[in-house]
Amino acid sequence: MDALNNLMYGFGIALEPINIAYVFAGVFAGTIIGMLPGLGPISALALMIPITFAMEPSSGLILMAGVYYGAIFGGSTSSILLNAPGVAGTVATSFDGYPMAKQGLAGKALAIAAYSSFIGGTVSIVFLMLVAPLLSKVAVSFGPAEYFALMVLGLTAVVSLSDKSLVKGLIAAVVGVIISIVGIDMQTGTERFTFGSAHLLDGIDFLVVALGIFALAEVFYMLLRGGGGKEVPRNVIGSLKLSRGEVKQIAGPISRSSVLGFFTGVLPGAGATIGSFLGYSMEKRIAKDGDTFGKGNIKGVAAPEAANNAACTGSFVPLLTLGVPGSGTTAVLLGALLVMGVTPGPMMLEQRPDVFWGVIASMYIGNLFLLVLNLPLIPLIAKILDLPRPLLLSLILIFCMIGVYGMSFSVFDLLLLLGFGLIGLGMRLFGFPAAPLILALILGNIMEESMRRALQISGGDWSIFIDKPISLALLVVALLSLTLPLFKKRSKKVDASTAK
Amino acid sequence: MTSLTLKRLSVFALPLATFAALSTAAQAQEWTPTRSIEFVAPANPGGGWDTLVRTVSRVIQQEGLADENFAAINVPGGGGAVAWAQIARDSGNPHKLFATSPPLILVPLAGASRYDHTDFTPVARLITDYSIILVPADSEYETINDLMTALEANPNLSVGGGSAPGSMDHISVAGLASAAGLDASSVNYIPFSGGGDAMTNLMGGHIEAVVTGAGEAVGQLGEGSQIRALGVSAPERIGGGLADVPTYQEQDIDYTFDIWRGVMGTPDMPAEAVAYYEDLFAEMLETDAWRDASEQLGWINAYQNSEEFGAFLDGQQEQFSDVLSELGLLRQ
Repeated sequence: MDALNNLMYGFGIALEPINIAYVFAGVFAGTIIGMLPGLGPISALALMIPITFAMEPSSGLILMAGVYYGAIFGGSTSSILLNAPGVAGTVATSFDGYPMAKQGLAGKALAIAAYSSFIGGTVSIVFLMLVAPLLSKVAVSFGPAEYFALMVLGLTAVVSLSDKSLVKGLIAAVVGVIISIVGIDMQTGTERFTFGSAHLLDGIDFLVVALGIFALAEVFYMLLRGGGGKEVPRNVIGSLKLSRGEVKQIAGPISRSSVLGFFTGVLPGAGATIGSFLGYSMEKRIAKDGDTFGKGNIKGVAAPEAANNAACTGSFVPLLTLGVPGSGTTAVLLGALLVMGVTPGPMMLEQRPDVFWGVIASMYIGNLFLLVLNLPLIPLIAKILDLPRPLLLSLILIFCMIGVYGMSFSVFDLLLLLGFGLIGLGMRLFGFPAAPLILALILGNIMEESMRRALQISGGDWSIFIDKPISLALLVVALLSLTLPLFKKRSKKVDASTAK
Repeated sequence: MTSLTLKRLSVFALPLATFAALSTAAQAQEWTPTRSIEFVAPANPGGGWDTLVRTVSRVIQQEGLADENFAAINVPGGGGAVAWAQIARDSGNPHKLFATSPPLILVPLAGASRYDHTDFTPVARLITDYSIILVPADSEYETINDLMTALEANPNLSVGGGSAPGSMDHISVAGLASAAGLDASSVNYIPFSGGGDAMTNLMGGHIEAVVTGAGEAVGQLGEGSQIRALGVSAPERIGGGLADVPTYQEQDIDYTFDIWRGVMGTPDMPAEAVAYYEDLFAEMLETDAWRDASEQLGWINAYQNSEEFGAFLDGQQEQFSDVLSELGLLRQ
């Protein structure tokens, strides 16, 4: 088989001792970068460009790709242990990962994250290898109308993410959309909600909000509760082992989210963060025990972790086959490849098969390294929970502040972080769910821009959203996902009342 | 391949470094930096300014052109406005430079920055790129004139670009339409979040044409490509992968557009320091390491010294404000 021959050729390159060393160095550095909140793969990769300049292009990309997927892999650790997402793609992991850690199941949560990441990553490498050239068509089939429909579908998850009160969930979502609007409007150049401050012209960084509302709010909440420290059982990391029943439980979510995540990654406008949210909300909806999501359900860790790693690999499809970056991180990778004298694009498979297949083969090795590297580290890293409460809380504070400052070198952003911490605390005290806010923040901006772009293309004609088959299909699914639960609820209520 | 050239380079590096050290020593009577130079990219890592800053710093260090280190610093925000406001406060500091390009003129004209090019000291223009118009490979438009005729007939025809309205891509295509005898505002310009984003939408058939930087497009063109170029904004044909692409002038539209990139310094930077940097950058442009890097990045050397660069910037401001006022986007 052709793909097999190519893969063997790729392994020939990836298994050169020097390249094995690069994969290892890449995934190791990536794991560490991912664990530290705020310090994301983008800045790390940009700093590496001068180093890779002198390298063989295949080695350079092997190293940099390793950092990228390593960071997504490692990002779950701080999401689970500290409620402080290491990278944007692992925010959804904290929804159930952190509650698990609070129940003394940190070890299990981290192990599930590692296994799911490994499977999500590996499954999507197989896809990448077999169908990458074909998928370039899928990647370009999404125009503004289609992205708008996809974001609408994504936003319907607000319903399932706002567990107790739908009204409070919707309020949180509206606040999220408002935050996403801050900055210079892409379509007209108008400033919105900047209050004349130059610091707000580029909008508010997603991670500033996420770290504030999750990590900082948690710190404040614990302080408010008087540092009793009864919630996290001391010295209990829990077993890493999964029972047969648990494996059965997460097998479905992992495989569904791997596929979903991969295709989300292939779309240049989506990516790991959106992929992980879609995976999470899909599983929450179809799970029988959906109402335990957010309280430490293992499926809630498995789904986003499989999805974000699959999406990360998927994002190499548009990069390598079309030469267009789908995200900030792949944009840096594209720049690095150009500097090394390789032009990604339709001709890359013919011109530089060594780079293409070498990287794909190296991803298999890298994912294996990540699993082997991370599993034994879990008990060590999870020890951080054994720290005395005052130390742990200050550590989270410091991590968040360094992370935010390291992104923008702006004191203003630190104040924003603090502000969002307080908002997050208020939301917790008054029972507003944080997840819908974060989801709306991620999707709101793309949804608005896509809608206006589509309307500008169509000359103001709204039928563009139903004339395009993909867009129509997505909108129909969105409508169904909003209306079906209503019927379900109704029939349940009827059942309940008849039972009474 | 790259590593080979580099190895070859390192053979020359030592004598070159000595030579460079000698020649800087000769000018040293005037002014030399006494500490490392802060070289600011007014944006996040990965973009055009950042690439320029990092490449310049690397080449200067690799070739041993300066005794002091060039430290790349990213100050993102407001399309450059945050960095400019910061640098404007550092009047007279000879150890601070920043990378610049048309946004330094366009952003203030659109009313989004209090500072414009006259607030800073021009040091040198280094390179230029040109703007290019792309259509899908199976498009009915064969020449730039076909596209202009179609634009005239159908003002709804969508032309995508990688930046906001009133910024580089939009100005370049609006100016082209204006030069072709159309109204600049007759272009239905659709802003995308980057040149790559615009090109994917072009390949997917969601828009009719794309305007972007030639350097960014070169990798997308050629055999087996899904897109094709109608024209470039250069005064004469660009070589390499774009040798087949005719200029606008060849197609009887008298219009050129430079996407220049250069270096500027703090307000009232001492003349001796400016002279030092002018010479340093002129020398850098001649090195092999620079040639290799700019070839890969699609940059074309376009050196101007401080005085020429200053005059050029004034001319650009005039040209841009004409187009912007025709578009109704002038806010000053």
